[in-house]
Formats: sequence, C-alpha cells, structure tokens
Amino acid sequence: MRTSRNLLFFLLPATILVGIFVYCFAAWTGYLSLTDWRGIGHFGEFIGFSNYESLFQNSVAMNALVNTLVLAVAFIVVTTAWGLGVAILLEMGFKGAGLMKAICLLPLSFSFVVSATMWTWMFAPVQGTLNTLLRMLQLGFLCQPWITSPSESLFCVLIVYVWQFSGFVTLIYFAGIRAVPQEFLEAAEIDGASTFQKYRNIVVPLQKGETVGVVTILLFYALRVFDLVYLMTGGGPALSSEVLATYMYRVTFNQNLFAYGASVGFLLFILAMAIMIPFLYLTGRGR
Amino acid sequence: MNARVLSYFASVVLVIFYLLPIYTTVNVSLKTTQGLVAGPITPAETLYFGAYVEAFSRTGRAFLNSFMMVLPATLISSFLGSTGGYAFSKFRFKGADILLFLIVLGFYIPPQAILIPLVKFIADIGLFNTSAGLILTHVAYGMPITTLLFKNYYGNIPRDITDSAEVDGAGVGSIYRRIILPLSLPGFAVVTIFQFTNIWNEFLFALTLTLGESSQPVTVAIANLKGTTLAAWNVQMAGAMMGALPVLLFYIFATKLVVKGLTEGAVKG
Repeated sequence: MRTSRNLLFFLLPATILVGIFVYCFAAWTGYLSLTDWRGIGHFGEFIGFSNYESLFQNSVAMNALVNTLVLAVAFIVVTTAWGLGVAILLEMGFKGAGLMKAICLLPLSFSFVVSATMWTWMFAPVQGTLNTLLRMLQLGFLCQPWITSPSESLFCVLIVYVWQFSGFVTLIYFAGIRAVPQEFLEAAEIDGASTFQKYRNIVVPLQKGETVGVVTILLFYALRVFDLVYLMTGGGPALSSEVLATYMYRVTFNQNLFAYGASVGFLLFILAMAIMIPFLYLTGRGR
Repeated sequence: MNARVLSYFASVVLVIFYLLPIYTTVNVSLKTTQGLVAGPITPAETLYFGAYVEAFSRTGRAFLNSFMMVLPATLISSFLGSTGGYAFSKFRFKGADILLFLIVLGFYIPPQAILIPLVKFIADIGLFNTSAGLILTHVAYGMPITTLLFKNYYGNIPRDITDSAEVDGAGVGSIYRRIILPLSLPGFAVVTIFQFTNIWNEFLFALTLTLGESSQPVTVAIANLKGTTLAAWNVQMAGAMMGALPVLLFYIFATKLVVKGLTEGAVKG
C-alpha cells in the first residue's frame, strides 16, 4: 500500500504536466475551434463546424495543407534515401569515414533560426553564396532566384531540411549496417554475390527497424515545420511556401482570428495523430 | 577502381554541401562591412571581430536570458524524467502501458495544436513574458522524451539489484535515492545534453511567450537581428554563430553523448 502511494508520487509530475499541457490544451483547442472566440474570456459562443467550413473552402488554407503534405513526403523520401546512400558510401570504407560522419551531423546542431540565417545568405539572389559560386565556376547561366521565386521557394526549404537531417539518418543507418551479421555477408560472398547484390539483397532489407524509426522522427519534424519557413520565406513569395503551421501562426497572432486559428491547429493535431499513432504502434514505442 | 574514384568524388561533393553554409557564415561574420563587397566565398582578408562585438551588444541580454531559462528547464525536466522513468522501468502496475504510451505520445503533438491555450494559460497565471513561463512550458513538453529516455536507461540496470533492496524493506523512494540515483550519472549526461540542445534551439514558444528584451531568448534575438535591415550581413552571421556555439561545442566535444541521445530517442521504443 505504501509502495503504491509512493509510486504515485513518482508518476505524478509527468502525468499532470502532460495531462494539462498536452491533452487538456489539445481539447481546449478543439473546443475553441467550434466557437467564435476572439481572445477575450476563456470560451466563445458555440458555432458548430463553421470554422472548419471556412477552412476547407479557403484556397490559401488548402494550398498550405497541400504544401505541408508535399514537403513532408518529399522531405522523408529524399532524406531517407540520401542518408542511406551516404551510410553505404561510408561503410564501403575509405579513410576519414569517422570525420565524414561528424561533418554530416554538424548541421543538426544548429537551431532552425541559425540555419535559416545561414541559408538566407546562401540563397540570396544577387550576393548569395550559391549564385556567387555558380558565377565563379563559369556556370552563371545556372543562377536561380531561389527563395525569391514562387516556383522555387518550397524546394529551397526542402534543401535546408535535407541538409539538417540527412546526417542523422546516415548515423542511424550506419549503425544498422554495422549490425548486419558478418556470416550473412560471408555466405553471400561464397555464393559469388557482388557488392551491389550484397547490399541490395541482404544489407538494405535488414534495415526495416531503422527505416521505421527514421521515418517516424522525420515525420515528427515534417508536420511541425514552422521556423524555417517563417524565417526564410515567411510563407512567400505569394504564399508559395506557406504550410499549415505558418498559416496557423499568421491567422492567429497577426490577424487575431483565434477560433479560426484553433481550427487550423486542431486540423494539424488530427493529421499528426492519424499518421503518428500507427507508426508508434509499429515501432512499439512506449511498451 | 572506378567505384573508388566515384565514391571519393561523391564524398567531396558531400563535404562541400554540408560545410559550405557554415564556411560562408563564419567567413562573412569575420568581414568588415566594406569587405562584404568581395562576396561571401572570398576569404576575409583580415580577422575582424567588430561584427561579433556589435552582434553581442544587441543580443547580450538575450544570451543571459537563455542561460537563465535553459539551465533550470533542462535540470528540472531531466530530474522529473528520471523519477518518472524509474517508476515505469522498475514497477509493474495497472495501466502502466497505456499511461506511458499517452505520455510518450505527447512528444508528437504539433505545437500549433496547443499554442493558443498555452499562451492564454501562461498569461492567466501571470507568467507571460517571463523566464519562469518558458521554464514551465519546456519542462512540461520535455516530460515525454525525458521519461522515455530514462525508462530505457533504467531498463539496463538489472532488476535483481532493486528487487533485493525491496526484499530488505526499502521503499520506492529510498531505492531511488540509494540505488538508482547514484547509477544515473551517464543517463543524466545524455538527457541533459539532449534537453539543453532542444530548449536552447527552440523558437516557436520563445516567440509567442515573450515580448521585448526582458525575457527574450537567443533564438528570438537572432531572428530579430535577421529581420531588421539595420543589421549588416556580417552582424547577422556573427549573431548566428554565437547563438549556435553552446550546442556546437557539445556536438564537437561530447559527440558520443549527443549521438546516444539522438539514437535512443529515435530508434528504441
């Protein structure tokens, strides 16, 4: 009896904090999204689903939803493939693989604020690093408007995201490849398998657990992408790189449409949970 | 032979891709305003620290704010994660699985889903625009991951040790104090670095829960530096480098601990 009371004491802080800050607040957001709350008092007038009706009829919001999904899929596919490719490259072995791994991981240390500052300079159309480099290499005709062009802005965000997270993916796969039992590879060699065949048929298929873990964590970052877009492009030009998270911030804190903003936030919540829960189940997290 | 050449070529391209933005940033941060004309790639002729001095004069207060906020938030969330992780790791009780799942799931909630009530709540309890408000927020949203990391860490401590103590009549609290806590140092090293990194780098809560210089952390100050046309490029870059430095030092000098936090948080369940 004493044990269980003391145990409760150990469980209470996490339970209370997560209970309030995550679940009560998410429910509160859900409730606000069904009201006309304008930021005064705690609850507005109940108006049913009309915020959601406006949300799904609003072309700006739908554009943000599409951008969020496009960016998420592109980010996950590119970063996973890239990270795996680099891990295989490093594993094939040449001097300096350790240093290379450290270099790949370096961008992850930066906050999005820092990386946005760095890459705004990289992408600057006139004096920017990329265009300067292209001109130095006599490839000036390849110069791009980068973040100042509506057709390239989302792509630029993708590049920075890949830059930051691919090293992490490499790290996970590198450890995964190392864990492949040596006998498997020796057996394949005796059977006359080429290096490519060994990777294709043995090493890569054994990375299932790593892949699920990697995709889970990349999804986590993809769905909450805010800082980079907000700071690099502000969602522009012409809303071309607006995602749900920046849209939610803009309508809520710049236009004071609190209830409508809550409906955008709650949509993100539903989206995140619908995608994350099966993944968490798959990875057996928290069990 | 060909594969070898190709892989070296690929590595060179990769190194350039990963390091070019960092090189440019450091390079530009060391230039004088006139030196900027030569472009971001041409190396700075002389090492000029004026941009750092100016960046610091604009963000110095924010650095202090950040340390005063990040250190307590890191320590409190790590400690509470340790006590919670211990309970989940060493005791079986009814509903443990579902409770842990719900706590860990909290890690995956997009901040936009709770942002409006959070700002309202923090304002209501009088902590808007204070470090305490940010500390409370970061402790709360840190619970899922610190609890999970410590639960996994304590999973590696043999059950026999705590079981025999229980037989001797030691309670939950005294087992934690006498046996678990002294064995926790490596776990704390990993978790505190993980938390320090996350909280130091966090932007959205800092942006929405503070206003003006008095409690603004570094991320917001650097973003403001970037937002103003008053700050020249070299000052912005110097600010970014200074803001990156504390975490960068962990990545360079405590790589193993950083990697451990990242992989434990990502792959293991």
